[in-house]
Amino acid sequence: MHTYEIFLKKDGRDEYRHAGALDAANDDLALVMARESYIRRAEGDRLWLVRRDNVIVADPDFVAPNADKPHRHHDGGAVAARRKALRAEEKMT
Amino acid sequence: MTIDVSPGVREWLLALADDKHLMGQQHAEWIGVTPFLEEDLAFCSIGQDELGHAALIYALLAGDDDAAIDSLAYDRGAADYRSCHLVETATDDWSIAFTRHWLFDAADRHRWELITDSSVPELRDIAARVDREERFHRLHAGSMLDVLLADDAAKQRLQQSASMLSGPVRGLFEPVTGETEAVTSGAASGPFADRWPAFQREIEARIGSVEWDPSPDQAARTTRSADWQPLMDRMREVIDLDLSATW
Repeated sequence: MHTYEIFLKKDGRDEYRHAGALDAANDDLALVMARESYIRRAEGDRLWLVRRDNVIVADPDFVAPNADKPHRHHDGGAVAARRKALRAEEKMT
Repeated sequence: MTIDVSPGVREWLLALADDKHLMGQQHAEWIGVTPFLEEDLAFCSIGQDELGHAALIYALLAGDDDAAIDSLAYDRGAADYRSCHLVETATDDWSIAFTRHWLFDAADRHRWELITDSSVPELRDIAARVDREERFHRLHAGSMLDVLLADDAAKQRLQQSASMLSGPVRGLFEPVTGETEAVTSGAASGPFADRWPAFQREIEARIGSVEWDPSPDQAARTTRSADWQPLMDRMREVIDLDLSATW
C-alpha cells in the first residue's frame, strides 16, 4: 500500500488545497478511492494526487530559524502610530 | 415526472428499480465494516449511486411526490417486488459482497445498454445518467480485481465467491413477465437474457472457468428469497418506529 496526499480545487482562480490523505495499492485505485472519498459531493472540480514518497519534506530545524525575525513582519502598526502622533501634533499647532 | 406505461412495462421498470434499490442498500450496509477505510467510503458511495438510480425509476412510476416514491419503494407486499435473489442475498463475507458488486455491475451494464435507445425519452435520460455513474463503479471493481487477481489466495477466494453466487447471478438475467412488452414497445431494444453468453465470457475471461449453477426458482421474479424479509425489516426500521410520522 502507498499513502497519497489529496489536493482539490474548484474551477476558477482558487488554488489547490490539501484535502487529506488515503492509502491505496496503486495509482489507479488511489484515483478511484479519492473520487469516492473526497469529491463524492462535488467538493472539487479538479483533483491532484501525490504519492507521499514523492513529497520532499524539509527538516523542522531547517525551517525554525525564520520564526524569530520580527523585523520582517510589516503589519504597519509602527507607521500608523507615527502618523497618528503627527496628526495630533498638527491639531495642537 | 410520471410516465404512462402499460402494466407489463411497469413491472419491467420495477425490476430495474428494485434490483438497484436492494443492491444499493446492501452496499450501504458495509459502512464501517469493510476491510479498510477507503473502501468503506467507496463502497457506500457506490451504494448511494445505486439508490439514486432506483429513486429516479420509482419517480417515473410514482411522480415527484416524495411520499409516493417512498411508498412504492418500501410499502409493497413481498409478492409485489420484482427484485432478483442476487440482490436480496445476505452476506457478512466481504469477498462475496465485493464479488457481487463486480458481477452485478458487469451484468447491469448489459441491461442498461438495451435501454440507451429506449422509446421512452425519460428512460433514455436515466440510462445516460446511469452510464455516466456506473462506469466509475466498474472502474472501482476492475481496479480492485487487478490487484486481487495478482495474488493466488485472493484469486481463489474470488473464484469461490463467484461460484457461490453463480446461480443467483444467472437469476439476475431472469426477466419479469412484462419484459416482452417492454421490448415490443421499444422501451428496451432486446431481452436481457440474450446478453447472458457475452456476460459469461466476460467474467470467465477475468477469473477463469466458472461452474454456473442453475438459477434459483424466482418464478419470473415474483417470489422472494429467505433473506428478503430481514433486509426489508432493516430498511424499514426507522419508518416502522412511527408509521404516522411525516418525513
